[in-house]
Amino acid sequence: MNYLYFPGCTLYTKAKNFDQTARNCSLLLGFELIELPNWTCCGATFPLATDNLMALLPPARILARAKEQGEILTTLCAICFNVIKRTNHLLQRDGEKREKINEFMEMNYLGDLKVLHYLEILKQEIGFSTIKDKVKKPLNELQAAPYYGCMLLRPFEEMGFDDKERPTLFEEFLESLGAKPVDFPYKIECCGSFQSVGSPEVATECAYRILTSAMKQGAEVVVSTCPLCTFNLDQKQSDILKAHLDFKTIPVLYFTQLLGVAMGLDPRTLGFEQNAVDPIPLLKRKGLV
Amino acid sequence: MKEMWEGGLRLGEGDFSFLEEVRRRSGEHLDLCYQCMKCTAGCPTAPYMDIKPHQLIRMIQMGRRGEVLGSGAIWFCVYCQTCGTRCPNEIHIGVLMDALREMAVGEGVEVKERRIHLLHEAFIQSVRRGGRVHEVTMLMDYVLRSRDLMKDSLGSGVKLFLKGKFPLFPSFVKEREEIRRIFERCTKKQ
Repeated sequence: MNYLYFPGCTLYTKAKNFDQTARNCSLLLGFELIELPNWTCCGATFPLATDNLMALLPPARILARAKEQGEILTTLCAICFNVIKRTNHLLQRDGEKREKINEFMEMNYLGDLKVLHYLEILKQEIGFSTIKDKVKKPLNELQAAPYYGCMLLRPFEEMGFDDKERPTLFEEFLESLGAKPVDFPYKIECCGSFQSVGSPEVATECAYRILTSAMKQGAEVVVSTCPLCTFNLDQKQSDILKAHLDFKTIPVLYFTQLLGVAMGLDPRTLGFEQNAVDPIPLLKRKGLV
Repeated sequence: MKEMWEGGLRLGEGDFSFLEEVRRRSGEHLDLCYQCMKCTAGCPTAPYMDIKPHQLIRMIQMGRRGEVLGSGAIWFCVYCQTCGTRCPNEIHIGVLMDALREMAVGEGVEVKERRIHLLHEAFIQSVRRGGRVHEVTMLMDYVLRSRDLMKDSLGSGVKLFLKGKFPLFPSFVKEREEIRRIFERCTKKQ
């Protein structure tokens, strides 16, 4: 079974390692990600004011195009996932807006596509037990902190990803790879999002709280599902060091990079050179590379 | 905060159509708020807001249009939706913030957090150019608009570039003509 795949802008630029590792792991797990041709930006925020239909156009266009080619659309970036899934939800339920958008875009999409995050594909379509059987190099009880962030979970009525305050899907995934998931209170806290550009100190503080919380619970690595969270948590550690003298750095990896390690992919193909905090010493210590 | 409340909020002074207008634009029932402050307690950016989320709702109830639309708070919300998930009255403040930003821009209120607003603008222009966001040109655009040399951010941009994370040339979609048409029709209608 193959899945239609919407990469999103950052997966072509600063999260190339996320994109590439996901594609490679898929092949080892027996499916292929088929990139949606001519995709555009998803808009990056789901419009909230009731009268703002304009911002629904890019995700609606993506959904309509995907429906022409398949039944399931998957994404990796948590923000794209949030925007596309919520737009789909709205188009399913709000006949009036659906009609307006369809008319404006000269298309006829009914909201009948299934939008799944890559982690959901792994859980629902492949199965964590199958992944466990296919793992070549179990992660040797690596203490990994699953960082969910906001976009996968909220608003939970529409995302339906997992429990709104105590999600466990990511932990189950890490366990299937042989890692030891670390529970920490900041796993669903916001990373500061786009404030890292306009007001960097906001995002730096958010990242500091999240990372130190994970480390206090014994984490050796933080695992992320979102390019923007990863930018704030990984790239900003040099700024955190300047603001907090007690801070110690910790590697932040995309979940697909860890999946790649466990599936026995050549470490040189896992894009570790693009991580700001070098994870290689840790992985070497654990006998994983 | 203290100064703002020193004069007190007296009934009869505010603009009472404001509450109704915000309710209509956002679809949120703000009259249900009983000030439990769960929203502010869980908000990651509240420490940086001039008016905290629960106070903002109270001020809308009191009809303080100018202070609310002119606040920096509405620009600090990153819509992480923690408040809405935890609100016992199911008020989604993220939704409210979006509606307030629209109203502020629509009414030509001077934006207090100018840089944040400019980033939003630079983002949408980048999509307009090529259908996809291209960080290098988007951030250049942002720097030019804000005349903010981005202090620390410029440093991390250079680092990302050195790590091969920032391709210099944008990747454009083939159907740029279609994108241009969509933007054109949208601006015409609004």
